[in-house]
Amino acid sequence: MVSIARKNLFEDLPRFMVAQAGIMFAVGLVTIQTGLLDGFTKSASLLVDNSKADIWVASKDMRYLELTIPLPYERLAQAQRVEGVDRAEALITRGSLWRKNSSAQIDPIRLIGFDPDGQLFTPWRINQGNLSDLKQPYTVMIDRSNLKALDISGIGDTAEISSVKVTVKGITQGIHSIVSSPFVFSSLPNANYYFVSQAMPTGTTQPTTPPALTAKDQITYILVRAEPGQNLTDLKSRLEAALPDTRAFTLEEMAQLNQTYWRRSTGVGFILGMGAAVGVVVGMVVVGQILYSSVSDHLQEFGTLKAMGSSNWYIYRVIIEQALWMAVLGYLPGMGLCLGLSAWTMQTRAIAILITPSTAIAVFGMTIVMCTGAAAFAIRKVTHLDPAMVFKS
Amino acid sequence: MVNPLVTQPQPLTTIEPTPEKVIVAEGLEMIFHSGNQEFKALKGIDLQVFSGDIELLMGPSGSGKTTLLSILGGILTPTAGEVHLLGQEITRLSQNKLARFRLENIGFIFQGFNLFPALTASENIQTALNLKGIRGQAARQHALKLLDQVELADRADNLPRDLSGGQKQRVAIARALAGQPKLILADEPTAALDSHRGRAIIELLRKLSKEEGCTVVMVTHDARIIDIADQVVHVEDGMITDNPSNFSRFAA
Repeated sequence: MVSIARKNLFEDLPRFMVAQAGIMFAVGLVTIQTGLLDGFTKSASLLVDNSKADIWVASKDMRYLELTIPLPYERLAQAQRVEGVDRAEALITRGSLWRKNSSAQIDPIRLIGFDPDGQLFTPWRINQGNLSDLKQPYTVMIDRSNLKALDISGIGDTAEISSVKVTVKGITQGIHSIVSSPFVFSSLPNANYYFVSQAMPTGTTQPTTPPALTAKDQITYILVRAEPGQNLTDLKSRLEAALPDTRAFTLEEMAQLNQTYWRRSTGVGFILGMGAAVGVVVGMVVVGQILYSSVSDHLQEFGTLKAMGSSNWYIYRVIIEQALWMAVLGYLPGMGLCLGLSAWTMQTRAIAILITPSTAIAVFGMTIVMCTGAAAFAIRKVTHLDPAMVFKS
Repeated sequence: MVNPLVTQPQPLTTIEPTPEKVIVAEGLEMIFHSGNQEFKALKGIDLQVFSGDIELLMGPSGSGKTTLLSILGGILTPTAGEVHLLGQEITRLSQNKLARFRLENIGFIFQGFNLFPALTASENIQTALNLKGIRGQAARQHALKLLDQVELADRADNLPRDLSGGQKQRVAIARALAGQPKLILADEPTAALDSHRGRAIIELLRKLSKEEGCTVVMVTHDARIIDIADQVVHVEDGMITDNPSNFSRFAA
């Protein structure tokens, strides 16, 4: 069957290219905004998602991962004694200051203290160095994407955290969150010492090895692995009962809590969602204008078809087919560009624009709906077309 | 064939079988409204056209010829009156049924050709065939046969912009003939052509319509083609004037 839609579309190539640029723009805008939102959401629960704990125990006042009240270290031992707990480990997460040397500028960091021999949380993608190196005093591991920001050239380089001189012993890859300062990983004693040293008087001698944590030292979370077959809801209740002023969350609950906080409470989700909506509207306007002007340019032809006896549905099909061609041919390069951009931002800025297969399918569906929706304007014009116009020369 | 509404000299010795009436129009009136203004384009037209005839509608600009043609083709609905096409009263048909009726029975030829500019000559004809349910290779073969009939088989893959005015109109004739309509309505098909090409087109149309056995009603200003018509109707001020001719019947 002869495709008038396709032939009309390609008849005027420059106009077709402009039209496709408009659709590509809309596809790009929606995909990038959605990808940023998904990347941002994923980023908000990055540490949680990559832990191997069944339950996270936090202060009852915790709002989200980085806004909480510390727990005394003694809660760890209490947690380990709760029935149904297979393993419990401490985790410290605190904001701190980083500087290359005492005369350099300060930068905010997110200090993550964990047990290098532990099983429930460790940096999951170590590019250079070994986890065991972090057991050495005053050592840290940072992410490759932050080397420049933290003014570090590589392993062996030194810097200061809260006036404590530290040595970089490892480099991670892709452990970076949009919602957080650069992650700096260290052992629990090291992390604790970087924190307590802030309160020490100037000139205090730095011990050769940071002291082990005592009962009153502060940790941030207790990560718990349940014994096999344990009911997590029951275990959470037992943990909350045994550990005063705490709340326990399953891994999924903890991830959800962080994602919800960032999406809803900060307005970032709204802004990115709004950007995606604007993309859809812009796309519809662009496609609508193009289809409308294309139909206007071909009114004589549609009138001829009507005079020849074609049904309205035949003409609608021509317009919808044109819209579908525009959707497909605008989507493919648009999505290709987005995937390229996503890879580039991840590699150069460690910013995740998360384009999952389901996102790609959803954006394709949206593009189809956007284009066929825009075709409604053109269809309306043709519906009211008087076939007698064909006799007006 | 004879239009009983116009005076005709009656040959005394000829006895012909009763011809089939393809078009019977009675009391056609058409009023157009523009704001508070009212314009009566047709003022009670009665007309009969018989099978196989070539009928010319002539008259000055604004006389109502094209309006009459549009009503006869089921494109415009008259304000009053009835039109029986091939035995079917069409003025009361729904738009969908009218479209179907046009598709099955009428071929159109337009003054400005109205070819689809993005489609080749063959594809233009195939589109008409597609509408009639003939698709794929069958449509292509049929289109090529029609192009051959109008002596344009070698231009089948040319776009309209690569064809001359006469060639375009020949493609338009081939398209109008696609699907073997019983009636062809043509609106000034020679207006955009010089006299030589115009004459050639009309002769081709006459030849093909006779071969295919279809009736042709043509609006024209071109007095030079009167001799190919079986009957000429003069329209003036929305009425058929008393100015009959029946050239083929009465040609010596």
